[in-house]
Amino acid sequence: MTNSMSNWIETLEKDLGVEVLDSPAKLQYFIDVEHTNVHQTLAYLRHVGFTQMSLLSCIDWIEQGKFQLICILMNWENGVHMLVRTMLDRENPEFTTITDIYPGAVYYEREIHEFFGVHFRGNPTYQKPLFLERWDDMPPLRKDFDPQAYSDSKFPRREHPHVFKTKVVEVTE
Amino acid sequence: MKEVKLFLGPQHPGMHGNYSVHMYVDGDMIKKARPTPGFLHRGFEKLMERRLWMGNLALIPRICVVEPDINEMVYAMGIEALAGVEVPERAHWIRMMILELGRLAIHMMAIGGIGGPTGMYTATYWGIAQRDLILDLFEKITGARIYHMYIVPGGVRKDLPEGILEDVTKVLDQLEKNLPEYEELILRHPIIHARIKDNIMLPESVVWELGVTGIGMRSATGTENDLRKVKPYARYDQVEFDVPTATYSDALTRMQLKYQEMHQSIRIIRQVMEKMPKEGPVRTNFSAGSALRFTVPEGMVYTAVESSRGEYGYFIVSDGKEQPYRIAVRGASYPQGLLGIEKYLTGYRIDDASIWMDTMGVCSPEIDR
Repeated sequence: MTNSMSNWIETLEKDLGVEVLDSPAKLQYFIDVEHTNVHQTLAYLRHVGFTQMSLLSCIDWIEQGKFQLICILMNWENGVHMLVRTMLDRENPEFTTITDIYPGAVYYEREIHEFFGVHFRGNPTYQKPLFLERWDDMPPLRKDFDPQAYSDSKFPRREHPHVFKTKVVEVTE
Repeated sequence: MKEVKLFLGPQHPGMHGNYSVHMYVDGDMIKKARPTPGFLHRGFEKLMERRLWMGNLALIPRICVVEPDINEMVYAMGIEALAGVEVPERAHWIRMMILELGRLAIHMMAIGGIGGPTGMYTATYWGIAQRDLILDLFEKITGARIYHMYIVPGGVRKDLPEGILEDVTKVLDQLEKNLPEYEELILRHPIIHARIKDNIMLPESVVWELGVTGIGMRSATGTENDLRKVKPYARYDQVEFDVPTATYSDALTRMQLKYQEMHQSIRIIRQVMEKMPKEGPVRTNFSAGSALRFTVPEGMVYTAVESSRGEYGYFIVSDGKEQPYRIAVRGASYPQGLLGIEKYLTGYRIDDASIWMDTMGVCSPEIDR
C-alpha cells in the first residue's frame, strides 16, 4: 500500500465512521455497514471516484439466518475495488434500491430478487421474471432449495434399462 | 401508427448466441426493445456450489464460449488469493500467452463477424479461417480447441510442448502479414462503412450510466482504462504495450480499436516468448493428498481480468470446505446486454439491431450463466 493510498483510506474511515478491511487480493478492500447506511456509503464512494458498479450480488448465510448483499465498486483512477457488504434479515429480506446512485443496478436487483427473493423498494421492475421461465418454487440460489427434489417433483422419472441386442438381424433383400 | 412486435433471435443469423430481443416496431424503426435472456441459463452458479473446487474447472469455460480462458484465469486467481499460494514464474508467462492468444481469436471472430449483419460474408469466412489457425495452437498446447481447461489453480495444467514457440511465431507472422489485408477488406470497405460509420453511438455519459467497460469505455472516454494497465495481473506490468483509445464512439471506431488491440496482443505475445523463463515448474500443488479434493481457506475475494469485452470477474466465497460456498459471475456484457438494449436500442432500424449487439459486445452465456 502506498502512502497516498493509506491517507486516502484514513480519510474515508473518518468521514464515514466505518472500518476499511483488507482482503486477500491486492487493491481490494471491504466495508461492512448496516443496511440503513448503505446508500450514504455508496453515494460518498461514488463522489470520491468509485464511478463504476461492477457487480451487485448476494450470499445466503442460512445458518446465521441472514442474506448478505455485496456491492462491488471500482475506481478507475487507482484501480481499487471496494466491496460494500451488508446483512439483511433472511425471514423478511427487504432493501431499498440503489438505482438512483448506480442506474446500472436495475437488472442486478431483478436477478437477486429472482434467485434469492430479496425485495427492492423503489425499483418498479424488480419483480418481473428475468432468466427463469414460469418458476413456481422458492428462489433457486437459496441454500435450502433442493434441485433433486425439485426435478423429481416436476419431471416424470424415466427408467433406462440396459438392454443389449442379443441377436444380429440380417438384412434380407 | 400501428406497432408490430418482432422477435430477434434466438435463431437469427445476426444474433449473438441464444439471446433474444422483443422489438416493437413501427415500419422499420424500433420503438421499444426488451431483452429476453434465459435461453442459455444453465444454473452455473448453483452447479458450482455443488461440485469440488477442481471439478468446477470443467464447467467454467462454458460461461464464455469464444474466449474461455478468462474464466479459468479469474477462478484460479481467486483461489490462489484465498489460499495464499504463489504461482511459479513460468506459469505466469504461459498464462499471459494463452490469454492473449484467446483475445486474438475472439477479435478475429469479431472483425470477421461484422460481415454477417452487414451482408458481406467474405469477411466472415476470412475471419473464421484465421481464427482456426489460433485454435490449432490451442490444440497443440492444451489438447482442446475450444474449452481448454488449461489454467488451473496453482499454475497451468502442463508445460508447453516442445517446439511450440516456433509454431506460435509462425502463426503470428502470418497473422501480422494478413492484418492489413483484413483492414483493407473489412474496415475500409464501402459496404461496411455505409452501415457502421456514424451509427450505433455510445456517448460517454451512457458508459458511466450503464457501467460499460472494455472497448466501449475506452472508445468513448479516451481513457486508458484497461485492467491490464490499471491493475496488472500475471506479469502484464513487465511487458510493454499501448492501450488504443478514442473519443468518438461509433460502431466503426469500436471495430478499429479491436483491430489495433490485435497488434498490441501480437506485441505482448512476442515479448512473452522472449522474456519467459525457459524452464522451471509450472504448477504448485495445493494438497499433499489427492489433487482433486483440496480445500480452500475461509474468506471471500473478487478477481477480475480484462476480457475482450471489458471487466470480467468472479466473486468467490469459501467456507473452508471442498466445494465453493458461492460464486457470482460478473459478465462483461451484462450492463449493455440488458439495460443497454432496453434503453438505447430504441430509435434504430431493425437491420441495425444486429450490428448493435455485435459492436457493443453482447455475449449471451455470460449474461445467463
